[in-house]
Amino acid sequence: MTTSEALLTVNNLSVGFHTDRGDVTAIEDVSFEVRAGEILGIVGESGCGKSVTSRSIMRLLPKRNSFIGPQSEIQFDGHNLAHADERTMRSIRGDRIAMIFQEPMTALNPVFTIGWQLDEALKYHTTLDKSQRHQRAIEMLKAVEIPNPELRYHEYPHQLSGGMRQRVVIAMALCCDPELLIADEPTTALDVTIQAQILRLMDQLRRKTKTAVVLITHDLGVIAQICDRVIVMYAGQIVETAAVRSLFKRPQHPYTKALLESIPKTGREQHQTRLPTIEGIVPSLFELPAGCRFQDRCEFRQQQCVDQEPQLGEEVDGRKVRCFFPLSEA
Amino acid sequence: MSKLQRILNSREARKLFRDKIAVVALVLIAGYLLIALLLMCGVLPPKAYADVVGPSNSRGLFLSENAEKRYEIARTAMLGKVKRALQREDVEVALDEVHLGWLRVAEKPPEELKSIVEESLELQRQLKAFERLDDDPDAKALLTAFEQKTNQLVAPLSGADYFMHNAALLLGTDAQGRSILFRALYSIKVAIQIGVVTALVCVLIGALLGSAAGYFGGWVDYVVVWLYTTFSSIPNLVLLVIIAYAFTTSGSDAKDTLLPVYIAFCATFWIGTCRVVRGETLKLKQMEYVQAAKTAGFGSFRVLFRHILPNTSHLMLINFSLLLIGAIKSEVILSYLGLGVKGQPSWGLMIRDAGNNGDVMTGFFWQIGTATAFMFVLVLAFNILSDALQDAFDPKHL
Amino acid sequence: MALLEVENLVKHFPVRGGLMNRVIKQVHAVNGVSFSVDKGEIVGIVGESGCGKSTLGKLIVRLLEATAGAVKFDGHDITHSSPSALLPFRRRMQMIFQDPHASLNPRMTVGAAVREVLAFHQIAARGELNTKLDELFTQVGVNTDSKEKYPHEFSGGQKQRVGIARALAVNPEFIIADEPVSALDVSIQAQVLNVLMDLKAEFNLTMLFISHDLKVIDHFCDRMLVMYLGFVVEEMPCQDIHADALHPYTRALLGANPVSDPDKRSELTVLEGEVPSPYNPPQGCPFATRCDLVTDQCRQEMPPLVELDAGHRVACWEVNKTPEPITAAEV
Repeated sequence: MTTSEALLTVNNLSVGFHTDRGDVTAIEDVSFEVRAGEILGIVGESGCGKSVTSRSIMRLLPKRNSFIGPQSEIQFDGHNLAHADERTMRSIRGDRIAMIFQEPMTALNPVFTIGWQLDEALKYHTTLDKSQRHQRAIEMLKAVEIPNPELRYHEYPHQLSGGMRQRVVIAMALCCDPELLIADEPTTALDVTIQAQILRLMDQLRRKTKTAVVLITHDLGVIAQICDRVIVMYAGQIVETAAVRSLFKRPQHPYTKALLESIPKTGREQHQTRLPTIEGIVPSLFELPAGCRFQDRCEFRQQQCVDQEPQLGEEVDGRKVRCFFPLSEA
Repeated sequence: MSKLQRILNSREARKLFRDKIAVVALVLIAGYLLIALLLMCGVLPPKAYADVVGPSNSRGLFLSENAEKRYEIARTAMLGKVKRALQREDVEVALDEVHLGWLRVAEKPPEELKSIVEESLELQRQLKAFERLDDDPDAKALLTAFEQKTNQLVAPLSGADYFMHNAALLLGTDAQGRSILFRALYSIKVAIQIGVVTALVCVLIGALLGSAAGYFGGWVDYVVVWLYTTFSSIPNLVLLVIIAYAFTTSGSDAKDTLLPVYIAFCATFWIGTCRVVRGETLKLKQMEYVQAAKTAGFGSFRVLFRHILPNTSHLMLINFSLLLIGAIKSEVILSYLGLGVKGQPSWGLMIRDAGNNGDVMTGFFWQIGTATAFMFVLVLAFNILSDALQDAFDPKHL
Repeated sequence: MALLEVENLVKHFPVRGGLMNRVIKQVHAVNGVSFSVDKGEIVGIVGESGCGKSTLGKLIVRLLEATAGAVKFDGHDITHSSPSALLPFRRRMQMIFQDPHASLNPRMTVGAAVREVLAFHQIAARGELNTKLDELFTQVGVNTDSKEKYPHEFSGGQKQRVGIARALAVNPEFIIADEPVSALDVSIQAQVLNVLMDLKAEFNLTMLFISHDLKVIDHFCDRMLVMYLGFVVEEMPCQDIHADALHPYTRALLGANPVSDPDKRSELTVLEGEVPSPYNPPQGCPFATRCDLVTDQCRQEMPPLVELDAGHRVACWEVNKTPEPITAAEV
């Protein structure tokens, strides 16, 4: 795969916040690309900067207390979204890049029917007339597998279950055929059986519509189920990026490896054994260590890791890793 | 780290202090509180605000009086009093009793005083011949001479007395010759006293009833909710007027104290606090640390007082600030209607006096202006502070 | 010997409404649940949101009052005991909560929160409070220097450890852990699970471990109950649930759980439909609306919990009928 296919290219993205303890850099030197039709997963623990990354692509961070670094680039169809004006963003947001969030209820207005809200989105982004819009809305509800779409069209968000609401949110996000869908923890608030339904739905939709998806999650299981490529983030940086299979089979960054190992395994062998853990906690963004950000918790730490900050390495076999001593295939 | 340091270092405090306007408001409020505290300690003698300190309706030191008024002042202030004293048997004693605020009769023998009085009266007679004092240069010169003459009757002031005398007259006097500045200042004490007492009592009642209702539910909740829906369905001001009126006409000993005002306010002002604390308690009751306290076997009162009430303290603080302002404003209204403060100055009374005497109509705006300005600054400062507090405690507000 | 016995426990929440604020319907949260927990055993309760697992936990520690049925602790019926009669049992039975951010009083230092429990139950004399506190904090792995810090100064995992220390303060025999690791990141989740495992071994604790995460239950527990819509549908040992699980719902849960292995993608089985409303639970088997094996009998009659093997009980007409249990073909 070459960069020419890239739909969205993020280069050197750094985002910071003004806080009452001074300015803090939430993500630093984040670079990646999203190719048409693929599902790119961004995984990491809370505070690693995965949500900040997605929100800065959509430019949804509060202007008052956040800032995007001057060198940052978010290239999308000739626009640099990192420094685009609000008018450009409005023409892209919702229309060409759509976003869905963790809690579907907050994305829906409780006082309007879901039909009304779908209609509103279509009115804003398309030139369809009233009956066409209605038809399209019903089609979308059908596409996200909502039973009785004609009936549901007239219902209010509170009349739907959590899974149904998330489907409606997906329908709204997809109603303008966006080229890119950013899904921020779309299944975290849902039960596993419903999560399975939504994941299957997203997979089917992207095959059908060729929409590229950036899926943000903390759940490695979800990543394994649906993503093509994965970005692992830690303390505001990308530590590893690879195709999903090679990442799970041969993690190269000690953090990725430790993260994979700390998931409880089913099966007789490991039953009630102590789990391998990553000792310690994520460093505060205010007190980042010099050198590697993972050094305090890394079992392979060397002197170089303390003295120097590792850079994200060159791409080898479609994967990059930010580590002086990447784990070999053993 | 001490408790105070911790509070000052908290996220909320830092947010509050970052808001420049809120800091200004805080400084103003601190100033008002300081004045109120000093007055409570008796810094200002009662005579400063209750007694006649000068001629009535004088315009203060910022505005010059017209000639008619100057004549009036010179004629009535000391001259008449000394004249009457000199006519009495016990001249020495009578002269000693004569005073106007801090002013006293000059220490001169009665004969000398008598001659000054007579010369003054002569000048007064000459002045009476003029129809208009303002335009005539001769009359002006004569008036100045008259003023100087009458001033000879007055003992020169020194030090603190001089300062107090000028301060008293700084913003003029009311119709009875009382100092507007001192009355307005003393009203701060009355206002703050009513505000603080009412707010304290109401927050306490509201928090206790509200948290008990929320926590215990059942019939406790039923009674409390019934109580406050009943009370809040009566128009607020009408209830205040009724309670205050009952005390005014009952002829009880409480008539001249602030007690009726306190009772009138405390009867209704607890409702808002009660409502929000009840709501917050219903929310906190479901919190896991409260459930943890229950599973630890703690009794209801321990859970309520150690784990629930402390976590409503931000609501209490905001409500305290809101209630304080509400009480002060209502006090002014009640006093204006003649149902509030008795026997002490109050901004409401000052506004009422200014209106009743028709002073405003005759261009005498100092009294109403001063009272309004003092009240306005305090209310504004507290409103800004309440808003800033609400923002500071709002986790969504950065 | 059974430390905890739950017999036919029922909890209905009345929903009030209408003009007269009358009870218009009942939420059937827990519908006649029976099980027992032996001394030293870890029993897991798994199910999706709304299945009644948390309600069950709260009924056992008497944070909620049961509508019917009985909870017996060490042979004593505590279902309706007065607060004073309950106090000795409070000392033996503690709870760990889900949300570490909500389970500590924000206005109390973490040390004060634990000391309060120690002092109230007179576990330690006034002078020895801090010694005992240090001991507890060391056991759960919280830095003893941070005793006088407030909860917001801690990370989620640290707060959860403090919550565990508070539960351990009374030297309980039995601990109910309600989703103790659900709100934590994966790496922290493993740390806390290890702490619980160590403590269990050290104090021979008996535990009821409530979670929606089958992976965690499977790894951590000796036995588990699978709940659906307030009913226990399957009760089984956790040795090898992939092989042993029989109830269609348990199998669906297993299939829906994403596995961290991209090569096993195709195995994600999707259970159609959603959990029915607990207001009007369907007559018959609660799972009938979503079940592949559904028959007319399932729609009309609630299947009883039948013991198939030692300690393995299933409530399903179809499974109980089958002479040969479903093989692990789909696993």
